[in-house]
Amino acid sequence: MNKGFLLTILAGLLPLTLLAGEYDISVDRVQIDTGDFVKEGIGYNGASPGPVLRFQEGEEVTINVTNNLDEMTSIHWHGLILPFEQDGVPGISFPGIKPGETFTYKFPVVQNGTYWFHSHSGFQEPNGAYGAIVIEPEGREPFRYDREYVVQLTDKHPHSGDRIMRNLKMSADYYNRQQQTVGDFFSESAEKGFMVTLMDRMMWGDMRMMKADIEDVQGFTGLINGKGPEQNWLGLFKPGERVRLRFINSSAMTYFDIRIPGLEMTVVQADGNNVQPVNVDEFRIGVAETYDVIVHIKDEEAYTIFAESMGRSGYARGTLAPEDGMTAEVPELRQAPLLTMADMGGHMDHGGMDHGDMNEDDMAGMDSGDMAMGAEVDHGAMGHGSMDHGDDASLPEDPFYAKGSGLVPTASNGGKFLSYSDLKAQKPLYEDREPTREIELRLTGNMERYEWSINGTKYEDADPIVLQYGERVRFKFVNETMMTHPMHLHGMWSILEVGEGKWNPLKHVISVAPATTVYMETEVDAPGEWAFHCHLSYHAASGMFRKIVVEGGPDSTVAEGKLSGKQGGES
Amino acid sequence: MNPTLKIAALPALVLAFASGAHAAGSHGGGHHGGNVIGEPGNAGNVSRTVEVTMRDNYYEPESIHVQRGETIRFKVTNEGGLVHEFNIGTADMHEAHQDEMQMMVEHGVLKGDHIDHEMMNMDMGNGHSMKHDDPNSVLMEPGESREIIWKFTNATDLEFACNVPGHYQAGMYGDIKIDSTVAAKDGAEGESDSESVQ
Repeated sequence: MNKGFLLTILAGLLPLTLLAGEYDISVDRVQIDTGDFVKEGIGYNGASPGPVLRFQEGEEVTINVTNNLDEMTSIHWHGLILPFEQDGVPGISFPGIKPGETFTYKFPVVQNGTYWFHSHSGFQEPNGAYGAIVIEPEGREPFRYDREYVVQLTDKHPHSGDRIMRNLKMSADYYNRQQQTVGDFFSESAEKGFMVTLMDRMMWGDMRMMKADIEDVQGFTGLINGKGPEQNWLGLFKPGERVRLRFINSSAMTYFDIRIPGLEMTVVQADGNNVQPVNVDEFRIGVAETYDVIVHIKDEEAYTIFAESMGRSGYARGTLAPEDGMTAEVPELRQAPLLTMADMGGHMDHGGMDHGDMNEDDMAGMDSGDMAMGAEVDHGAMGHGSMDHGDDASLPEDPFYAKGSGLVPTASNGGKFLSYSDLKAQKPLYEDREPTREIELRLTGNMERYEWSINGTKYEDADPIVLQYGERVRFKFVNETMMTHPMHLHGMWSILEVGEGKWNPLKHVISVAPATTVYMETEVDAPGEWAFHCHLSYHAASGMFRKIVVEGGPDSTVAEGKLSGKQGGES
Repeated sequence: MNPTLKIAALPALVLAFASGAHAAGSHGGGHHGGNVIGEPGNAGNVSRTVEVTMRDNYYEPESIHVQRGETIRFKVTNEGGLVHEFNIGTADMHEAHQDEMQMMVEHGVLKGDHIDHEMMNMDMGNGHSMKHDDPNSVLMEPGESREIIWKFTNATDLEFACNVPGHYQAGMYGDIKIDSTVAAKDGAEGESDSESVQ
């Protein structure tokens, strides 16, 4: 690392020299101490998380990755645009890195912003194999700041990834601690009537789903830069400074709702791409997404960075303070949301309501009488205990959630919560044009067997998706499950449809909420073979994964030669 | 945005603008005496011209020195890809004006690189409009260039700022440093005095 850094600095002093840096990374067994528990895991250069790799836009990087494990490994450079052989997905980009071997990645850095890297082998990433990438831009950025910090989140679990996968396969609700109990049933019956409550439970039972089923894997400790809530990661500042925070969600499974009580945040970047700045009080970061925010801290106070998991089963916490030892109040976790009938969307059509013994009177007694219509709001099922049922005006709305969804986030101070619809590119990268064709991808699953799939087919049984170099493909995600899926396309940008034409933002992860349809477009400008998958570790591993083959292009022999190949990528 | 929705929302917007201007005093020149921030200047009194370039999302230069009592012609050019504003005021005034600009965005008057002038200048029949024609500010689409002639009186703590939502917070503002002791000199303060930029 040091050597590489020196080279980079030298290159900066000699403008005629090509920028080139060399970096060494070792993949090691490490101890991970969360403050709640100590666990053996995998890290880089002796630690988890690994180092922050600092590249310069325009630099040609050489990265030597040495595998000190007794198993295969790999590093995927998440969000980086690079030749597909350098993308680090075993079975798709390359065979992987054997124990004891050193693999040398070499690629030009053609972008700037906040990204990250992680193993794409087995469950090494949830076991600790991740780090951050910061790429300095060639020119001036459309914002300014006095100092910056990487704030890398994860959901460290006391169980290893393999064990979690086994337990989920055995019982999908193994780690779901917030299931509704018999006690809940009786108290709800008293409140809403027995039949209403019974119907509600029967429908959810039919779907093999539970209302509380927002987080498959609870029982984790949220970490910021490797530190648990008690260990309290600290970022120092001087009063009056503008501080850039580079949030990266490296969790296996957990979405976080992030706020810094007392500070407004200005979102300036999403997934490494500049967005037109937007002021928010709170934002939700999907698994594998990044958001850069700027905070202007005027006084000599400490502030808590508070990241609650979307299902409120855990949190990460850090502190911004003018000096070491200062802390601010740590908020209580808010009440866990419950999924509503709106979140089950399409399930209504599949026989979930087919209870012939219900009579009209019973239906009329339900304040969710409109649920037979399909995707209407079920007020009775809204999980926010304090919410007054039946008052439409009080329901928060966001076009990226089903209408009446229990997952729609609200800011804890009543202020602005970032929506995908607020994201507009600062400067469009591609010319806006009509897509050449549309590909529908239904996000599907069977919760009981813990099988996740696309269009009902698991990865191992699916043919690759074949794209032609030069086309612009419109992907239509239809989420038929009740989980939120962060879909990640490797190698090419995902242009999120927010209805703003050329200002639609570029991302590398598109989060698709339950019972919603979300569109993204991709300029197919990278030949080769790429991975495309849900970034929830245990969803990807159980089948919500595809290989993308891009045919044609400047180096057309590459793609054609491998077209007939079996899919064999590891997630 | 749906056009019907847009029209329906207009009265609320106008109302908010009217009350916002009175309460918060964001529009300096006309409404509440020029003393707070200075006053519109006469072309005949201009001592020098300061050229200001607006980019995405910052100014060149990022701070400006003036003499008390000096009248300056600001030649402002938007070389960015987005709509930007050059507005002379105090930090509080800018903050109040940002709420109004937020409404302009929410109602579709302001969209990325475009200003809906027709909608902005629409006479609502009660003397109010969303016109953005105060003498202390210019709001411009990419490629536009305009002038402000401004006389700095006894004002202190002035900033020039872009109040397009998010731009101020991203760092698109600069200090106007008013000097009352030394005789006026030519030219704007260059980058040498600007805040640190990364």
